[in-house]
Amino acid sequence: MEHAFSNRPTKAKTTQNIAFWIMRSMTYTIVILATLIFGTIFIKGGSTVFQTSFPFVNTTFLFSKPETLHVVTSDGNKLQMGDKEWRAYSEKNPEAVIEDHKTYVYSAGGIFPCIVGTVLLVLGSMTIALTLGVMSAIYLSEYSKHGLFIEWVRISIANLAGVPSIVFGLFGYGIFVIFFGWNVSLLSGWFTLAFMVLPVIITSSEEAMRAVPKGFREGSLALGATKWQTITGNVLPYAIPGILTSSVLSISRVAGETAPIMFTAAYVVRDELPWEVSKLSDFFLQGVQALPYHIYVVSSKIPQNEYTARVQWGGAFVFLVVVLAIAMTSVVMRSKMRQKYRW
Amino acid sequence: MPIEQPTAKKMPVNKMPIAEALRTVQRPTFLGITFDDAMHYFFRGNATVSILVLFLIVIFLFKEGGGFFSQNVQNLEIYRKAGLEYVDIVRTRVDNHRTLGRFLGELRTKQLNLLHGDESALAGYDAAVERFSVTIDEYQGFVSEYTEVATGIKEKFKIGLDMEVAKQNFQREGKFEESGKIVIPEIDFATETQIFRDSVPQIKVIDEKFHTEVNASLESFPAMPSVELQPQLEKFKELVKLHQEDVRTMEKSLTEWNWQKPIPWYETFTSFIFGRNWLTASFWQDWYGIIPLFVGSLIIAILSIAIAVPFAIGAAIYVNQVATRHEQNLIKPYIEFVSAVPSVVWGFFGIAVVGQLIRTVSELGVVSWVPFFPIAERLNIATASCLLAIMAIPTIFSLAEDAIQNVPNAYTESSLALGATKFQTIWIIMIPSALSGIVSAIILGLGRVIGETMVVLLCSGGRIQIPDFSKGLGIFFQPVHTMTGIIAQEMGEVANGAIHYRALFMVGIVLFFISLLLNYAAQQVVKRYKISIG
Repeated sequence: MEHAFSNRPTKAKTTQNIAFWIMRSMTYTIVILATLIFGTIFIKGGSTVFQTSFPFVNTTFLFSKPETLHVVTSDGNKLQMGDKEWRAYSEKNPEAVIEDHKTYVYSAGGIFPCIVGTVLLVLGSMTIALTLGVMSAIYLSEYSKHGLFIEWVRISIANLAGVPSIVFGLFGYGIFVIFFGWNVSLLSGWFTLAFMVLPVIITSSEEAMRAVPKGFREGSLALGATKWQTITGNVLPYAIPGILTSSVLSISRVAGETAPIMFTAAYVVRDELPWEVSKLSDFFLQGVQALPYHIYVVSSKIPQNEYTARVQWGGAFVFLVVVLAIAMTSVVMRSKMRQKYRW
Repeated sequence: MPIEQPTAKKMPVNKMPIAEALRTVQRPTFLGITFDDAMHYFFRGNATVSILVLFLIVIFLFKEGGGFFSQNVQNLEIYRKAGLEYVDIVRTRVDNHRTLGRFLGELRTKQLNLLHGDESALAGYDAAVERFSVTIDEYQGFVSEYTEVATGIKEKFKIGLDMEVAKQNFQREGKFEESGKIVIPEIDFATETQIFRDSVPQIKVIDEKFHTEVNASLESFPAMPSVELQPQLEKFKELVKLHQEDVRTMEKSLTEWNWQKPIPWYETFTSFIFGRNWLTASFWQDWYGIIPLFVGSLIIAILSIAIAVPFAIGAAIYVNQVATRHEQNLIKPYIEFVSAVPSVVWGFFGIAVVGQLIRTVSELGVVSWVPFFPIAERLNIATASCLLAIMAIPTIFSLAEDAIQNVPNAYTESSLALGATKFQTIWIIMIPSALSGIVSAIILGLGRVIGETMVVLLCSGGRIQIPDFSKGLGIFFQPVHTMTGIIAQEMGEVANGAIHYRALFMVGIVLFFISLLLNYAAQQVVKRYKISIG
């Protein structure tokens, strides 16, 4: 069936096919690698968090405090116990022959205080960042005129976005912990994290507000509304879904960062839960345990073996699931939004 | 016609002509500011926050870090005044001698391989090595003796400093009586360091003996068992000659050594920026040189970008140009999804899996021909770079994909219309047009990688040293420490206001300016090389 217009292979076409296959393989390498990594963490961590019997979720791991793990051979039986259990056991069996007693810190119990701490950090810092960020965005999109001031604001935002998170940590330590004297506390952590995500929130909120058609504003102004009435009545209501969507993504960043809270808010271990305080001001001025910092501690300060793997992989799994769920929410919300708001 | 507010303020509405009164809007004011104006200023104030934060970062980094240089001057001064510098000059000889000894050890292994493990044939060689290595013994005795002296002087000085702090504290609290009681002992450095100057003749005697003995020991080396190794012995002899040369110049610097010699003003800066040692909490002398950390950060960043760029750009082109709509809708969000994974999880994964994986691979028989395999440390530059590459891919991918998306359709359409294949269009038209965007994506990715903390802290091995560049590609399998890692690791252990604390803030300042620089570079690339659409 050879004819002049048949799909004959030429040099250019062969090159194209080879090049496309190379690029395709690169793309799928990334996808497969990422899937493998997620899979490893899900399988290894899932065995800690889930169980085969009711309630199918390991509630001790999710809802109790970290403890030291004791691994002992008592009267020939190999036992693994948490700290409390171990004390009760040694009181009950004083004559037991204890051999080969090893302890691993943080390897028993669960990660409840870390989850609580992370939630508190995210709530506080997002409140601060959203307030400041949305206000700035309103100015940038509704009031600003070209000029030196706006130029400066934009340069600052662009540069703030590139500052490494550890530098934010140093800054937070210098200003909040030392200069304001808040010490290592929730409050210091909130402000440090809030300033870190501020540029992201400003940029995305501004985008969301600019997406509201100009006609909405003009219609409102033409009917005699003031600028304030226009913004609150005809711009913000339509922009808020967009602002929230993009903000969800910055929640995953706030929840995931370790470096800024290392010296501003996080404790390695703390016996009381955040709400176990004597007076209200203590609540804000207390350090908390946080999930990312806890993962750092258990992966660097204790050895890697069969006894510690449980808490290491379990912690990483819970953390990853939380952060990815937040990111997933953002992606789903965004696609829903695109379908809903069309003007 | 615009509303004229001023007239409205001057004249009550009921006295105006009707037409004008209808056009006038009266709003409640407070101190002459309407509610709308107030909101305007309020929002404007909020917009100032980002400028303010950037300023505060600069101010507080410099406030905490700025004192470093004056404290470092003191650090360097006491190094000289207490004679530590003097002892270190002699110590250099001992260190150089040891390095030469190691060279001889390597040579011995090579000979042994050649002789199939026949130890007895090496008796002559071993005797010569022994003879060579004992020549340094007297220096060693000298160093350990005078180390004590110098540490003693430094200790006295430190006690004086502590007392001064205590005295100032008393004075601040108004307890002048107590502060008067503290008498800070004057340290007479001239007498204290006399002992060093007195030791110069002794050193000269040792030097003479050293030269003759070394020469004699060189004579005693037997010929190598094979012709191929002979040049190595010759090389060794040349190195020894250089070593002796060094000893002679050092003799001169020892004679000229003077505790009073002032430290040049720029020394405190150069010792930080070009210092090759980062040594803290040592009993001898602390050094704060950023080079080992900077080099560590740089090598890791460059390697990870080198790994990430082909994948990220390849995927960006594929997803944007080649992929079907279904593929696009799945792959793009998935890769962006990867960017949400927290860095500490990557770091943990590196410690738990990747490091061991790289080591296991390097121990396989198949790759045993690679000179630096199997690797010694599982946490090294390569481990950290692999993980950072995975982290950087989504960043570079998204930005590069945007850049490709922004290439005007007319460009590609005209290329296709002229009969070019799709790949030719991509290669010749699209990539050059999007190049500025792609380059700026790479620069921003580099910025992200250099500033990344947790992965390098957990996976780079944490050894503070400049990697050995002589190892070729093996350099990528050495452990290093990084700028971000050192801050995260040591910040929790230092006392506020101490020189070490300030040094860490200085590292933070360097990081801050690197990030500003990269940001600026990325913006300039886009601005300058943007192809105008028209």
